[in-house]
Amino acid sequence: MAVERLVVADRTAFLRRPDYRTLRVLALLGLVVLWELVTRTGWVSSLFLPSPTGVLAEGIDMVTSGQLFVHLARSLERLAWGFGIGVVTGISVGVAVGFFSLADAVVQPIIAATFPIPKIALLPLLILWLGIGETSKVAVVALGVFFPMVISTYTGVRQADPLLIRAAVSFGAGRWSVIRKVILPSALPMVFAGLKLGAGTALLLLVAAEQIAADAGIGFLILQSGNLMETTKLMVGIVVLSLLGLLSHWGLSGLERAVIRWRHT
Amino acid sequence: MSLDRARFVPLLALALTAGLLAAEAQAQPKPAPVKIGLLKLTSSAPIFVGVEKGFFREFGIEPELVYFQAAAPIATALAAGQLDVGATGLTAALYNIVLGGEKLWIVADKGREWPGYPLVAIVVQKEMWDGGLRSIRDLKGKRIGVTQLGSTFHYHIGNILEKDGLTLTDVKIVPLQAMSATVEALKGKQVDAILVPQPFPAAAEAQGFGKIMAWAGDLYPWQIATIFYSGKFATDRARAVAFMKGYVKASRYYFDAALIQKDGRTVPGANYEEVVAVTAKYTGARPEIIRLGFPFQDRNGRLLVPDIERQMTWWAANGFMKKPLPLKSIVDTSFVEEAVQALDR
Repeated sequence: MAVERLVVADRTAFLRRPDYRTLRVLALLGLVVLWELVTRTGWVSSLFLPSPTGVLAEGIDMVTSGQLFVHLARSLERLAWGFGIGVVTGISVGVAVGFFSLADAVVQPIIAATFPIPKIALLPLLILWLGIGETSKVAVVALGVFFPMVISTYTGVRQADPLLIRAAVSFGAGRWSVIRKVILPSALPMVFAGLKLGAGTALLLLVAAEQIAADAGIGFLILQSGNLMETTKLMVGIVVLSLLGLLSHWGLSGLERAVIRWRHT
Repeated sequence: MSLDRARFVPLLALALTAGLLAAEAQAQPKPAPVKIGLLKLTSSAPIFVGVEKGFFREFGIEPELVYFQAAAPIATALAAGQLDVGATGLTAALYNIVLGGEKLWIVADKGREWPGYPLVAIVVQKEMWDGGLRSIRDLKGKRIGVTQLGSTFHYHIGNILEKDGLTLTDVKIVPLQAMSATVEALKGKQVDAILVPQPFPAAAEAQGFGKIMAWAGDLYPWQIATIFYSGKFATDRARAVAFMKGYVKASRYYFDAALIQKDGRTVPGANYEEVVAVTAKYTGARPEIIRLGFPFQDRNGRLLVPDIERQMTWWAANGFMKKPLPLKSIVDTSFVEEAVQALDR
C-alpha cells in the first residue's frame, strides 16, 4: 500500500516569535560601544555627553568615597516607606471596593475624580501642607502608588471567573473559603500588574520630590550635578535610577512567578 | 484699465528695478546680532544703558538681550552655542563647564560685592527679624534660600558664615532654581532667609514680608559678576573688541552716574535720573526701589583677577569642583585692555 505524503505548511509560522537572546545583549552592548566611540573621537563634547568609561569611573569613585551610598540609602528609605504605605492602603481600599458595593459607591467617584491629577502637580501643595521634610516626599510617593494599586486590586477582585466561584460553591465552599481560595488568588495577576506600575510611578515621583528641598537622595544628586554642570555625576545618577527601575521590575516579576504558580507570565 | 503695450513697458521697467533693489538689499547681509544672556537685575544696568543709549550700535554691534532666571543656565547656554556673551554672576557651573573641556572666557567686570554699594542682601522673614533674628550667628540651623547650588549666593553665604566661625553645614541651603521662586519662598515662609540681588531686597522690605539683615558686600567683598564670552565669540576678534568698546563706554557712563561717592556716601552723578529710569524700565521695578543703590564695578570694567583664583580654590575645597583651573585658561583681559586703549585715544 503506497503512503501518500501530504506536505502541510504551517501557515502561522510567521507569528512565531523566537527569543533572540544573544541579539538582545549585543544590541545593548552595541549602543554602549557607539556611545563610547562618539565621545572618545570628540564628535560630541564630553561635557554634553559623558562617555560610558567616564561615567563608570565616576561611579566607582562615588562608591568608594561612600557618597553614592548616602544618596542611595536616603532614596531607598523614602521609596520603601512610600511604596509600602501606598501598596497597603491601595490593596485594602481596593479589596473593600471590590467586595462591598457600599464602599464602591462611596469611593469610586472620588478615585475617578482624583486619579487623573498628575501627582507631580500636587507636590507643591503637599510641601505647603506637610513641610519640606521627609513627610511630603513619602506622601507624594504613597499617593502615586495608591491609585494604580486601588484600581488594579478592585478590578482583579471583580473579574474573578464566576465559573470558578460556582465550581467552588458546588464543592461545598463557604463564603470565606470562596474569598480566600478563589477570589483573592484570581485577583493576584492584576495586583502584580498594579505593583509594577506603582513601582515605576514611585521612582518617578521620588526623583521629582527630591529635586525640591532635599539635601540627599538620587533626585537631589541629579539636581545638584545639573546645577553645578557636573554632567558625569549627573549620568551616574541617571544610570543608578535606570538600575533601580530594572531591579524593581525583575524583583516584582520574580515574586510574581513565585506567588502565582498556576500561570505563565 | 487694460494692460496694453503702452503701459506694459514702463510697468516691466518698474518691476525690474524693484527686483534689483531688493536683490541689492539682500546682497549686503546684516551682521548677526550679539546675543547677551543676563538677568533683570539692577546690576545689569551697564548693559541696559549700553543698549538704550546705542553704545553697542556705535561700534557696529547689534545687541540682543536674552533673559534668564538664574546665572548658571547662562553659562550652560553659552557653552551650548546659544549665546555669545554672558553678563552675570560667576558660578561653580561656569568653572565646571571649562573644567569639562568647553571654552569660555571671563573678560570684564560687571559687578563687585563692595562695602557701601548694595548688590546682594541677606533678607530674613519680617516675623523672624521682629522675633530677634538679627545677626549671622542667629542663622545657625536656619533654612537659607538661594537660586541654585553652586550659585553666587551659595559662595557668598558660605564665605560670610566662615568669617563668623560657622560653616555651610550649620545651615540648611534650599535651592529654589529661580530668582522669583526664591522671593516667593520667603514670602510663603518656606525659608527663613534668602540671598537676592537688587531690586528684590528693597522690594521685599517695601512689601513688608522681608527685612534686610545685611548687605552681603559689607560682610564679604568679591568679584561676583563678569562679562564672559563664548569660545566662538572670542575668536571673532573684531566683533569681540567692538562689543567691549561699547561695554566700556556704557560702564563709564554708569559709573559716572551712579557710583560717585563723596564723604563715604554715594551721590548722584551725571545723568543719574536717566540711568535710574533706564534700569527701572528694563527690570520692571519702581524707580524708588532702584534709587536705593547701584552695585559697584570698575569704571573701565577691569577685573579683580586674583579673586577669581580664590573663588575656584574655595569651590574645590568645598567639593563643588574637582580642582581649580589655571587662570590663563579662563581669564582673558586683552579685550578690555584693547577697548580701553582704543577709547582713550
